[in-house]
Amino acid sequence: MPTANALGRASLVVVAAACAAFAFTASYAADSKTVAIVIHGGAGVINRSDMTAEREAGYRAGLEQARDAGYAVLEAGGSSLDAVTTAVRILEDNPLFNAGKGAVLNRNGVAELDSSIMDGKTLRAGAVAGVQHVKNPIELARAVMEKSQHVMLAGTGAEEFALEQGLTMVPNGYFRTEARMKQLERAQQQEKEKAAASRTSSTGTVGAVALDRNGNLAAATSTGGMTNKRPGRIGDSPIIGAGTYANNASCAVSATGDGEFFIRSVVAHDICALVQYKRVTLEAAAREVIHEKVGGLQATGGVIALDPEGHIVMDFNSNGMFRAARDSTGRRDVAIYGKP
Amino acid sequence: MYSIAIHGGAGAVPADFLAPDKRAQYEASLASVLDESFAMLERGASSLDAVTAAVRALEDDPLFNAGHGAALTREGWAELDAAVMDGRDQRAGAVASVRHVKNPVELARRVMEKSRHVLLVSVGAEEFALEEGISLVPNVYFRTDERRHQLASEQQGQRVSDLMPTGAPIGTQGTVGAVALDKHGNLAAATSTGGMTNKRQGRVGDSPIIGAGTYAKNGVCAISATGHGELFIRAVAAYHIAASVEFRGMSLAEAVRELIHVRIPQLRGSGGIIAVGARGEIVMDFNTEGMFRGARDSAGFREVGVLRGRR
Repeated sequence: MPTANALGRASLVVVAAACAAFAFTASYAADSKTVAIVIHGGAGVINRSDMTAEREAGYRAGLEQARDAGYAVLEAGGSSLDAVTTAVRILEDNPLFNAGKGAVLNRNGVAELDSSIMDGKTLRAGAVAGVQHVKNPIELARAVMEKSQHVMLAGTGAEEFALEQGLTMVPNGYFRTEARMKQLERAQQQEKEKAAASRTSSTGTVGAVALDRNGNLAAATSTGGMTNKRPGRIGDSPIIGAGTYANNASCAVSATGDGEFFIRSVVAHDICALVQYKRVTLEAAAREVIHEKVGGLQATGGVIALDPEGHIVMDFNSNGMFRAARDSTGRRDVAIYGKP
Repeated sequence: MYSIAIHGGAGAVPADFLAPDKRAQYEASLASVLDESFAMLERGASSLDAVTAAVRALEDDPLFNAGHGAALTREGWAELDAAVMDGRDQRAGAVASVRHVKNPVELARRVMEKSRHVLLVSVGAEEFALEEGISLVPNVYFRTDERRHQLASEQQGQRVSDLMPTGAPIGTQGTVGAVALDKHGNLAAATSTGGMTNKRQGRVGDSPIIGAGTYAKNGVCAISATGHGELFIRAVAAYHIAASVEFRGMSLAEAVRELIHVRIPQLRGSGGIIAVGARGEIVMDFNTEGMFRGARDSAGFREVGVLRGRR
């Protein structure tokens, strides 16, 4: 991945400059443990023909902004939970990605959002599914984890809880963008023309995994699901163990792809179970699950993952995955296409 | 070898429960569901059909917290969750928070077989039920006087039922489920529940979560869980057992024991598991006072029980 390496070298210079400006922070970071954040903005068929230079630059900038905001939390000594929440919230607010504003639409033209978060230290988790009026579903998932006795809330019950928690509510039209309305129209046209709806129009789930200075892992995922989905359809993103999992004893994972297959394969937990119980590397575990198990079901998608040592994995079996990573060793990359 | 195990929930067993006639009532119901679903396997039915039939019968029985007689939400609604999984190819179907589907396990099966999705919730799930020609029932169909009383006592009590208070009615955690291995060597699992008494509207527990409350994979095991759902989700309970068997070389009994007596208690939870292994071995374990359960296999083993006892 020569471009990423070049980018990494270039960004080292930037990091060095930044460190000089904040000498205290820099020296603190240097003699403490590794901190790292990895984010994704979805995996799937990314057509270069649809992608103008301008559009691509927009994606890259969006990924960098979310990554760096999450990293800043870690660098300031913040928790991995806060870092992943921050990064995912920024991606939700970015209309380019399929989560929060700019989420894909169900077959009735309504945005229905799913999200989850997990704390690797305590194995606490929170998730919401099928919400239509919560501006930042990741914040609601976090509130479910921290303020309710439950792990998962769905539909109007989740929104009732959001109101009780004083979260920002918006009309469903807030999430809807011109691009997603066209995408839905295309999907429904395709569905009419041939029975099999395109499964690959669902790229763009967002997620983040992070390792903080105290050695704690966290994972978060948020999505609008798949274009033209049935109302009420829940994918893997809010399912603990499928789309999201974090455990300090093994790893943190956020997944993106054909959600139904990721649920059936219990993808996120499977990767961590392979790491913990078969003692394979995080890289090997992700490869086995994404390329052999999920790939074997003819499903596509990818994962980002981190282990307690800060090993970064970004793997996918599609032609691309929007992704970015940054850690305290100076690594800093952002990529869209190419081999993982 | 073929075998089936069923459960009707795990939890504390209140003193008055030990009244012989009440206990006999539960045991008779479990025995009849067990024997009917076992007879299906005997006739060569698939494990998928056997677990669906067993769970449907338990849903229809008001004694158990699923379908008719489900536990009620804060506002007094029945909101039902169910899942089914086919061990052959890990196909799965699940529904959550449905209010008007008489047999949620049948809708879960329809989601698996007739939709391109795995999990549908709430109004969208009911829309699908109507498209599939499944008739809906008013929510009052599910509500029984017993559950209304339970809700009232929960709401008057000092604490809500997030962790099971000792001495609480077993109904607060009464999920139902079934796991089976058929003559063809295929495993299947199904689970159905009304969730916890006094739950928030929209709360989804472990039952409809593939890998948490329900899981099946040929050659490994089939699992149905019952207990404090939030903790079973966080522990990815059902899949953790499968992973322990597959990756750590543990026996099914060891894997279930570790989950129920080590991992779930570490999270300060309680509950139980029924499991059937690749060779038809049956495991039923729980860390509560009791679990409504029954199991039978083609080697002649048959058990129906409630309290902890000889196995």
